[in-house]
Amino acid sequence: MNEQRRQILQMLAEGKISADEAERLIDALARQQPEAAASTTSTPKSRPKYLRVVVSSEDDFSGDGAGRINIRVPLQLLRAGVRLTSLVPPQALTQVNAQLHKSGVPIDLTQLKPQHLDDLIEHLDEVIVDVDQADAKVQVFCE
Amino acid sequence: MMPQLVTYRQRRRNGRWLRLYVPVLPVMLVLSPLLLLVGLAGLVACVVFRVSPVGALRGTGRLLCALPGTRFEMEYGRTAVLVSVR
Repeated sequence: MNEQRRQILQMLAEGKISADEAERLIDALARQQPEAAASTTSTPKSRPKYLRVVVSSEDDFSGDGAGRINIRVPLQLLRAGVRLTSLVPPQALTQVNAQLHKSGVPIDLTQLKPQHLDDLIEHLDEVIVDVDQADAKVQVFCE
Repeated sequence: MMPQLVTYRQRRRNGRWLRLYVPVLPVMLVLSPLLLLVGLAGLVACVVFRVSPVGALRGTGRLLCALPGTRFEMEYGRTAVLVSVR
């Protein structure tokens, strides 16, 4: 029994509404629910498969004309790449950490677990980056 | 699924297109002796750097299997390059 139906029955039990009113409210609720269910099932959210990077510029640096870059990377490829990071030996990570500290970037890569990176890729499908300039346009999105 | 065809297209400055269709499996068969050497070198590298060879093999396999659908397209003035993996 859902919450709204329970509230209606509660109101009926407390005598706030009559039996007729309760019946009408329950009927209205029953009419609403199939519509809501249909709207959620008819348009299931399809999961994006690709990460797309599109860069277009009016004029390239050599003055040859317009430039355009269009890259499509399967998200599965990103996941596979991220899983490869678990193969990086710990001593290499400590060396990288030391160099990062030297450069003033205090990031501890040993704390970065493949699960975290997996989660990051998982939520990448909601990322949209849109940079619009007068002479260039950059778009990063999932499709 | 393993990549089956790699397409490389390049538009030259004179406007003519160079098209290369590379069937992955036959090329891998032709290069199999070389791949064997690469595999051995990889195995040695895994032992030297104390990386699990099975894990590395699995990771590389996953990476290869995820390649189909990758597309890289670049247009720069009159020159254009397209690399597509199917």
